[in-house]
Amino acid sequence: MQGIAVPISVVPGNSPIHRINPLPKMAWMVGVLVISFVTRNPVILGGVFLLGLLFVTIAQIWPSYLRVVMILFPISLTLILLQSIAPAFPQPWSPIVDVGPFTIWQEGIYSGLSLLLRIMCMTTFAMVMIMTSHPSDIFASMQKIGLPYTMNFILTMTLQLIPILQSEFNTVLKAQKSRGLKGTGFAAILPSMVPVFVGAIERVQQLSISLESRAFGSTGKKTSYRQVQFGLKDALVMAAGMAFSCIMSYWLLTDPTLDWSRTLTFSPAFALTLFFGAGIGFLLFVVLALRLVLTA
Amino acid sequence: MMSAKPIVQVENVTHIYSRGNVVALDDVSLTINRGEIVGLIGQNGSGKTTLVKHMNSLLKPTKGRILIDGEDTEKQSVQAMSAKVGYVYQNPNHQLFARTVVDELEFGPRNLKLDEAEIEARREEAIEFFGLEEMRELHPYRIGFPLRKLVGMASIFTMRPDVFILDEPTTGQDNITTQRVYKLIRRLRENGHTVICVAHDMILLAEVVDRLLVMRDGHLIADDTPRKVFAMNEIMESTHLAPPQITQLSLQLNKRKVVLSVDEMLKELKS
Amino acid sequence: MAKGKPVIEFKDVSFAYAAASDRPYAIEDINLTIYEGEYVALLGLNGAGKTSLQLCINGVIPNSIMGEFSGEFLVYGQDTETASVRELAKLVGMVFDNPEFQLSQMSVAEEIALGMENLGFSFEEMNRIIPEVLEIVGLSGLEERSPFALSGGQQQRLSIASALAMRPKILVMDEPTSNVDPIGKEEIFAVAAKLNKEENMTIIMAEHEVEVMAAYADRVIVMDQGKILLNGTPKEVFSESDLIQKLGLRTPQVTELAAKLHKKGSRKYSKGYPVTLDEAAASLR
Repeated sequence: MQGIAVPISVVPGNSPIHRINPLPKMAWMVGVLVISFVTRNPVILGGVFLLGLLFVTIAQIWPSYLRVVMILFPISLTLILLQSIAPAFPQPWSPIVDVGPFTIWQEGIYSGLSLLLRIMCMTTFAMVMIMTSHPSDIFASMQKIGLPYTMNFILTMTLQLIPILQSEFNTVLKAQKSRGLKGTGFAAILPSMVPVFVGAIERVQQLSISLESRAFGSTGKKTSYRQVQFGLKDALVMAAGMAFSCIMSYWLLTDPTLDWSRTLTFSPAFALTLFFGAGIGFLLFVVLALRLVLTA
Repeated sequence: MMSAKPIVQVENVTHIYSRGNVVALDDVSLTINRGEIVGLIGQNGSGKTTLVKHMNSLLKPTKGRILIDGEDTEKQSVQAMSAKVGYVYQNPNHQLFARTVVDELEFGPRNLKLDEAEIEARREEAIEFFGLEEMRELHPYRIGFPLRKLVGMASIFTMRPDVFILDEPTTGQDNITTQRVYKLIRRLRENGHTVICVAHDMILLAEVVDRLLVMRDGHLIADDTPRKVFAMNEIMESTHLAPPQITQLSLQLNKRKVVLSVDEMLKELKS
Repeated sequence: MAKGKPVIEFKDVSFAYAAASDRPYAIEDINLTIYEGEYVALLGLNGAGKTSLQLCINGVIPNSIMGEFSGEFLVYGQDTETASVRELAKLVGMVFDNPEFQLSQMSVAEEIALGMENLGFSFEEMNRIIPEVLEIVGLSGLEERSPFALSGGQQQRLSIASALAMRPKILVMDEPTSNVDPIGKEEIFAVAAKLNKEENMTIIMAEHEVEVMAAYADRVIVMDQGKILLNGTPKEVFSESDLIQKLGLRTPQVTELAAKLHKKGSRKYSKGYPVTLDEAAASLR
């Protein structure tokens, strides 16, 4: 049978976080998104990140969470590399140390660190939301707050199609290898993609006729089988999330002493360690990824 | 009967899928001789697909070994095996992609890095063999499903493999093309090929195949002529396959001989 | 067999797809009446018009597929051109040949609920109906499974259950067993027969397995080039074995045997050929 596994998907469980309605979790996710864009302060972002890790622990989703981080983290390391030598930050910049033709800037390290923490904050809260809520529940609760039924269907179907097309692609690649095709490089693209696309089109055509016979195009009232509860507890969690986001944002926006971009200074040793650490981490990742792709 | 020269040797092969630790094949041994037409049957999950995937190196045995024409598949890649064992998928749409039938037929030989003259010779031979003259320049997807399936077979034929593995060659076919496929399989044998049909089509198994292999739960539970296998009640029930209606009739009437076709039955009734 | 009231009526129906095709008409001058509770088998080569005929029954032709439609078509007295999608879905359930291509939802229960959601059923109704239809098709207990993790036969029975959930009176099946393994075939034929016998559901099934159709169907219709060539009981239709073979189709093997014996001068079958194994065995004992 085909492996039906979306890489980022719900992790079955019964933790307190699993039992909360998806909407409050979405509120937290959006709240953290706002906070992450309001501030660059590494300590504040670090704190929010730690809070996220606490949620990951409560939800008992560490293994799946780490799998996502393993992919994302090395890519984020490039941010540190690029930012430290070319900060996305208003001039003037103050230099820390020179590395060959490049200069590592104070503002660069600051900016790189805060960008990395921003990404980690947003990812962590998004993963807590996605990995503790059944996709159908997410869509059903979104439908409750006004997402159209058809949109709901398209989202569900897309999520379903990804693993299906993946397994179709594997079948086709095997079929073409049986005709002597070398499995890698540009020459492999056409022979393995065309059958997958044609199959997908055929699938959609057939599905649309099948849906029509199940009254998909009917106009009247539609109902939803997925029942999502929204109780007092959910309301409290939602209110807490919104309050957290609003209060933090207000504080961060109004208190100028929280902008540490010019006051926080990094020692040359710290800057170099970070720079080369990120460089080596990223290279290792590239080598590993290439080997994986080439041996597949 | 031609002299028995083994082409496929499966020696004590066990295959364990790493995912889920499933034993798909459990110590299976068998030999298929050059020029045989073999039918392979069994329920989904019986291990029949796993077995044939070993023959063209798509899978490697966890234990045991497979020899194709005396060579161990262990060190062979799928690409290298493709010149020896041709695998025709059940759904032609999984294999066809080119703009014209001609391109499709040339794809395999090109992968084998043959010279132009040889490619052309093989292409023309395939067009003649499968009767594709009128659709040379057609897009494979513009051809109706039954004939598209023949194009799929022809695109493997141009690789000139010793062994053909045909996965459900008649499923989704109408009767006319089905009859054509039966003839083609027999002609493949006349040309010296060995054919392994993974199939549920009982008439194919009764009238075309020399030998039936039956699999269940990773074991080979029967290996004999269709005539003998069809009469093994327990074995047939375990596959959920009923013998062809005419064979069932002969079994019900307790005829001396188990018949495999309507014409055989006519002869039997005369005597 | 006693006929119920007419539920499907084709009157001079022709249809041509707007998309270019080898033949102008996919179906041509179809006149056909099907009665309540009948089990009808449709035979024909690929492209004979079976699918087009079936798509008329729930109004997909001409409502959703572009083309030129003429004649009159009624299902339970309603004209499909004016009836709403909603009403038609409640009358006619459809099952197609590729089990996987009909599925879209995350769980078996949601797959079955889809049609009911579109018809606006309440949650309580859905909760009552889902286990009921799963029981009928023999998939009880699989509510939370992914439809894509089922075997082909199970997927096809899930499609049947999804259609049944809308309480249709007619079940139209287009080669439902062509992509399914032997055990799956058995299961699908058994479910269809049960629905026909126990619920008096009208079944219209396009199918290649002539031996099975001869045993189950009340009526066999043979199509070729968009037209109905034969229409009658399995015995009547399969007796035309020469014509059927000329069309590239098969009769049951026992019928073929009887026809050949008849030609060779046997007097045994002057009153008609056997179409099932038991009939044939009885005639030869």
